[in-house]
Amino acid sequence: MRSSGTNMWIAPLLLLVCGVLVFYPLIYLVTESFNIGDAQIFPPEEYGMDNYWELFEEPKIILNTLWVACLATVMAVLFGFVQAWIITRTAIPGRARLERLMQLPYYMTPLIGALSWGVLLGPKTGLVNQVWRSMGFSSDFFNIYSPWGIAWVMALFEGTVAFVMIAASMKSMDPSLEESSRVLGASKLRTALKITLPMVAPGVLSATIFVFAEMLGSFAAAFVLGIPGRFFVVTTAIWEATLSYPPDYGRAAAMGLSLSGAMVLTLAAAKFIMRKGSYATISGKAFRPRPMEIGAIRWLLMAISWGYIVVAVILPLMALTLTSFERFATVVVSQMQFTIANYETALAMGSLAPAFGNSLLLGIVVATLGVPTIGVLAWIIYRSRMPGRGAMEFLVMVPQAVPRLVFGLGLLWAWINIPIPIYGTLWLLGIAYFTVFMPLGLRTIAGVVLQVDKSLEECARVCGAPWTYQMRTITLPLLRPGLVAAWLLIFIASVRELGVSVFLMGPNSKVVAPAIVNSWLSSSSELSAAMALMQTVMVFIAVAILFRVARKVGGDVV
Amino acid sequence: MSGVPPRIEVKDLVVRYGEGAPAVDGVGFAIAPGELVTLLGPSGCGKTTTLRSIAGLETPTSGSIVLNGQTVYSSAERRNVPSEKRGVSMVFQSYAIWPHMTVFENVAYGLRVRKAPKAEVAASVARVLDMVQMQAYADRPSSNLSGGQQQRVAVARAIAFSPNVLLFDEPLSNLDAKLRAEMRVELRELQRRLDITSLYVTHDQEEALAISDRVIVMSNGKIEQIGTPEEIYNRPNTLFVADFVGAANIVGGKVAGPGPNGTLIFEGQGGVRMEIEAPPNGRGGDKVALRSSYIHLTPMPQTHNAVAGTIHRRMFHGDFIQYVVDWPAGQLIVRRPPTEHYTEGSAVTVSFLPEHCVLL
Repeated sequence: MRSSGTNMWIAPLLLLVCGVLVFYPLIYLVTESFNIGDAQIFPPEEYGMDNYWELFEEPKIILNTLWVACLATVMAVLFGFVQAWIITRTAIPGRARLERLMQLPYYMTPLIGALSWGVLLGPKTGLVNQVWRSMGFSSDFFNIYSPWGIAWVMALFEGTVAFVMIAASMKSMDPSLEESSRVLGASKLRTALKITLPMVAPGVLSATIFVFAEMLGSFAAAFVLGIPGRFFVVTTAIWEATLSYPPDYGRAAAMGLSLSGAMVLTLAAAKFIMRKGSYATISGKAFRPRPMEIGAIRWLLMAISWGYIVVAVILPLMALTLTSFERFATVVVSQMQFTIANYETALAMGSLAPAFGNSLLLGIVVATLGVPTIGVLAWIIYRSRMPGRGAMEFLVMVPQAVPRLVFGLGLLWAWINIPIPIYGTLWLLGIAYFTVFMPLGLRTIAGVVLQVDKSLEECARVCGAPWTYQMRTITLPLLRPGLVAAWLLIFIASVRELGVSVFLMGPNSKVVAPAIVNSWLSSSSELSAAMALMQTVMVFIAVAILFRVARKVGGDVV
Repeated sequence: MSGVPPRIEVKDLVVRYGEGAPAVDGVGFAIAPGELVTLLGPSGCGKTTTLRSIAGLETPTSGSIVLNGQTVYSSAERRNVPSEKRGVSMVFQSYAIWPHMTVFENVAYGLRVRKAPKAEVAASVARVLDMVQMQAYADRPSSNLSGGQQQRVAVARAIAFSPNVLLFDEPLSNLDAKLRAEMRVELRELQRRLDITSLYVTHDQEEALAISDRVIVMSNGKIEQIGTPEEIYNRPNTLFVADFVGAANIVGGKVAGPGPNGTLIFEGQGGVRMEIEAPPNGRGGDKVALRSSYIHLTPMPQTHNAVAGTIHRRMFHGDFIQYVVDWPAGQLIVRRPPTEHYTEGSAVTVSFLPEHCVLL
């Protein structure tokens, strides 16, 4: 970027704005966590470590969190590993399609997953449990309102994350490494143990740690499936602390910060392992390893692979669909009463219809304003030689290190204490969404910015184009797919946002995800199913466009 | 180039990135109109940085650059004209073909920036595409062209708006050997036809020698030697040039005294006595460079330089045979035409002319 008048002030201005957006709530959060006086007064009258010590007086919550996180991580990595191995290394039919479909569970979200598995396996009323009992059993087949249930739902979701990471390490492995082992006389098994496994191990390990860290901060599934059985993990305990009377913001803040600290440490460990131990990605090239010919067993493997998609996406969506059109959720055909009343209620109920409108509005506005802003940031960070761009990158990525629920708590407390009356309005939600989705936007746009070879722009300059002309004719057209993808991803993330919204939504600024949760906890599952399905449809339409954009540019923007 | 003012004039150019040795360290040269000059050197020698400084894509630390009599960069005058106002054009190593445009749009870009009338754009694009034999591809999207085709489009785009100066940044390095040899000839043809002043960067010494009017050899940010390809090959100034350009044998030793007919006697390792040509500027040295292709394996009547040796290894290369010969000073690489055949282990007489021995 050439130094001109505009560029001189745009960088410090962006730095300042992002700095305020990110650090203002965090400062409140940190201060409040040391508040041992009246939790309602800010700045605190007394400071101390009591809020932190209290965490250890109730070790049950920490143990619960670790237990669920471990269970879910083990399952998710198992799912991810098996899927990655089947899809990248064996010759099953339709691998390319399966690989694309493997992205779907991610867009299902833990919230939708938890609701639909609640519909399927809720005690007594769950569809599967109904069938089970009608077969003469006196107890439930499985109670989803349990640690195992939460872990199961989360594992189905995180399985795709593990899949992506493990498949990447399998794909980036040069097949000649295995071939040379075979040529030197090693058997298939020996090659697998001595060559393949060590090469893939760092990928598996970092996927494990990454999933574990995400699990520590996950909220939705524990919220939907844990609260009814009074089973609390850290995130839901934070939520509970803010609801108690008087709200214990100090304790909630201390828990939130401890959680962030634990996540940052775990993720730093994962990064360290990836850098230290990853032999496989050295070349940076993507190889297509020659898939193994496995004979008839391929039908079994294909069934396993499809099984995951069915269990993680198709079955839950079918359960939701069926329930949403019923008066009472049932699988007994003779008792089925079909109705569209749930949809009518969802769209008519005083506060629900606006929730859909608000979410759409927020998604569109945040994405539309966020993409150009983050685009400029990405440009400065990855293309300019401006001083302070490293600090800027760090700043923009900070929200990623804080679970959204915790960030929401900080925002809540920060904006209650400011004389600008935007608490409880869509403005605050918009600001909050922008702040927490900055890392997502930056990563997506950076991917394309880095792909666009610098010489493409330099060539335009040498051909005589001034900077603005070059931006208009070369840079922006080349970045367009990335910008569109970033827009859609931010839109999707906004529409399904829960963690920040539960704290910041006011009576006049309801949004979809918390509204669905409230409906689930307070009224019928049939109505909630209808709402969840409507949200899923919104998200999947955006996902479909996203896939189309991705296919058009032939790249992997997602 | 006496009398004619140079098209490109670089003086005391220094480019420094942060601490440490500068990437370009006091480089200066002048290029006459219509000349093709090559910057040759290993990677990291500063040749590309020099080229990019001329294009305005790097900001030098100090020095000056004058294009067509206009100072485009001068640290003393605090002047730095942006790329787009320098009137230069460039062919990039990666070709930098814009994937979202057709071949026509790529080539027309420079003309459209200059707001050329539509008819003129069409005519000029057709003319240059014709020159590079890509007229049939004008309406193709540029994203699925082969490497060679992209190369042609990049050249067409660079010359379409009739720039004063054409810069080439390793334009052939991404092509396979055969295509590279072909394109080399075509580029030289085109440059001659358009009579366009060109500065060409490459690390391929063969390419540099083949296409250039003059070659500038660079190493560690400094110029080692400027000269015609023949001068560079036959009369290297420094050990670096002798070693980097062409295949040379280096024999260590010392000058023992004057020889017959104005030659010098050089006493090499292993007691090898060589009659060598006295350097024109009278400077001394402790090494002699001897090109592999200039060594005979039978006694030559016109010289006293004849030393007994044994063929150690023979390698058939097709266009020549390369022999590794054991002789008193160690081992000698000798290239002979494939018609001359010696078996491994046979005794030969190593013979060479004094004028092919360059004292360094």
